[in-house]
Amino acid sequence: MIRNLYLIYGGVVLLGLSAAQYRGWSLATINEVKNVPRSVRDNPGSYRSIYSSFHHYTGGK
Amino acid sequence: MTQPVGTCPNCGAKIVFRWSSSVQTVCEYCKSILIRTDVDLQKVGQVADLPPDSSPIQIGTEGTYNHQGFVTIGRIIYEYELGSWDEWHLMLNDGTSGWLSDAQDEYAVSFAAPGRKLPEVVQCKVGQSFVWDNQRYEITTLTTAHYRGVQGELPFQYWDKQDVTFVDLRSQTGKFATIDYSDEQPALYLGEMVEFESLALKNLRAFEGWS
Amino acid sequence: MSSAGPTPPGKPQVKALHCPGCGASLTVRSFGNAVTIVCENCRSILDAKDPNLQILQRFKAATGEYRPLIPLGTRGKIRSTDYEVIGFERRTIYVDGVPYSWHEYVLFNPYKGFRYLTEYNGHWNDVSILKALPDVQTDASPPTVKYLGETYKHFQTAKAETSFVLGEFPWQVRVGESVEVSDYVSPPRVLSSEATGDEVTWSMGEYMSGKDIWTTFRLSGTAPEPVGVYENQPSPMSADTRKIWVAFAAFLLVLVVMMIGFDMLARNEQAFSGSYKFDSRDHADASFVTDDFELKGHTSNVEVDTSTDLNNRWIYLNYALINEETGQAFDFGREVSYYHGYDSDGSWSEGGQNDSVAVPSVPPGRYYLRLEPEGDPQYGVTYYSVTVKRDVPQYSFYGLALLALLAPAILLTWRTLNFEHLRWAESDHPPIKLGSSDDD
Repeated sequence: MIRNLYLIYGGVVLLGLSAAQYRGWSLATINEVKNVPRSVRDNPGSYRSIYSSFHHYTGGK
Repeated sequence: MTQPVGTCPNCGAKIVFRWSSSVQTVCEYCKSILIRTDVDLQKVGQVADLPPDSSPIQIGTEGTYNHQGFVTIGRIIYEYELGSWDEWHLMLNDGTSGWLSDAQDEYAVSFAAPGRKLPEVVQCKVGQSFVWDNQRYEITTLTTAHYRGVQGELPFQYWDKQDVTFVDLRSQTGKFATIDYSDEQPALYLGEMVEFESLALKNLRAFEGWS
Repeated sequence: MSSAGPTPPGKPQVKALHCPGCGASLTVRSFGNAVTIVCENCRSILDAKDPNLQILQRFKAATGEYRPLIPLGTRGKIRSTDYEVIGFERRTIYVDGVPYSWHEYVLFNPYKGFRYLTEYNGHWNDVSILKALPDVQTDASPPTVKYLGETYKHFQTAKAETSFVLGEFPWQVRVGESVEVSDYVSPPRVLSSEATGDEVTWSMGEYMSGKDIWTTFRLSGTAPEPVGVYENQPSPMSADTRKIWVAFAAFLLVLVVMMIGFDMLARNEQAFSGSYKFDSRDHADASFVTDDFELKGHTSNVEVDTSTDLNNRWIYLNYALINEETGQAFDFGREVSYYHGYDSDGSWSEGGQNDSVAVPSVPPGRYYLRLEPEGDPQYGVTYYSVTVKRDVPQYSFYGLALLALLAPAILLTWRTLNFEHLRWAESDHPPIKLGSSDDD
């Protein structure tokens, strides 16, 4: 009984793994933005990234 | 048997007490409450009862051992400090004599095995081992017993009521041996433990309340 | 026979009770150890000095303390045979001065003989006497016993004293008598030897649940809950644990095959590469877009690698991977920093000059990158290059899957080991306590 539950569980894990590999899932934090206008190609500065105005300093030791 | 049966002093019906020392029961017919007056209350809780004659075998019981038929023709009841057991004398189809030991419904069939080297009774200790016929036996029990009664045909004429030592031995293969020190010459019996079913016994004693 | 029990052989002597007042039927009532007999008709109570009442009183006093859970006289089926309970015994051992008591029931069938049931703390055993001698291996440490191809490990040896006895036994049993008992276990079975000076008897017990006892003897109520783990109580998980590890091994094989398979299936091809220069002192808008490139195949990941010449500096790159046709964009930022130096402990370094990120589930199509670099305004020029790869194998997921598959197996093994630890804690060979501060 427990063995069968584990087999189902393992099957689900491996199925998930297959989907992740095939569809190219990633753990990175990526944001999707929709409807970026064509004009960005000519004027890159007009693109409003949510990551703009990032000021981050990591110093050494 | 294990459930003592009596008669109702009121109406004469049969009454049963639930177990050996139970002091109280109710008559099914007249509903009287009945008390037993012969139970030793000093001993209740302190000392166990012994089951009365509980062997299912009787004189005339037939069975099979080692593909040979046999008939029970005699019985010896031995008594010792802690209880009793039966030795049933068997007559096999080929005319030989054997013994069926019946101790608390544990059964062993054995045959006289003369001419073997036997130890002195004082030397015997539990755990010692001996080899007869290429089989190793270990002493499991030392019993001091005497005859309590006899029935039917037995291979010897005379016995007395003195205590006698019996040494029981077992093997790892289910074999059984016993040394009887009642005579000047100790007698060895070799045999094996047997399952009740394997003897295919017929003409057994009937017990009330059991099929 | 000098040592007879409470009942002599022969017919029992019986007296009937009736109400001295009206002769009607009587009811027996017990309160604690007292027994009262009341007449239902005239409500008169039998005189306490009545000899019959005294019999009931004394009997109750002698037997009231320990009540057999299976009443004597009950019948039940064990191994397809009817047995009747004819005797009851309470036995006690002392371990480090602490008494532990269990109960034994004698079962009888005129044709099948005797069987025994033992009960301790809600754990039951079906016991029968062995016909053949088991093989005792005295040189093993702790000692073991072999019987019918099974090896039994020594669990406990103690002197067992009879503290109470009721009913019939195949041999004489008296309160105060003791025997040396040794138990050897191979769950769910146990081999016991009982030794007096003159006799050694071996018996084998098989674990039974209280539920089965209550069913077979048709007892009212429910069986008492078992407390703790008993010496031969079967581990509910040990068979499962083995099966799970076998399943895990199979999964591991599948995992390796999958890894090889997906490695071969992945396109793993470079879609774009470009090199750039960033001057942080430049105050103009640093954002720019790359030429467009194609991402082929089915929806899969995209790896964006950044390699720089940073030296004790940092750079932050705002990335956007934009689909030229659909306007869908994947927006992310990557910080790259590299610091190194030399101090009293030796040389050190922090961070790296390169960075890599996988963008998930990117549909195929034509794309371009929009970049907006940022850096500390004082630092100056950084040279960096960006490479875009399509459909790259992600090895971290295999690690996660391995952990996920391992977790239930490890959990079950831990529970099995814990169960065995509890079992052997009660024995003569307790396991070494792991990290616990107090003992008893």
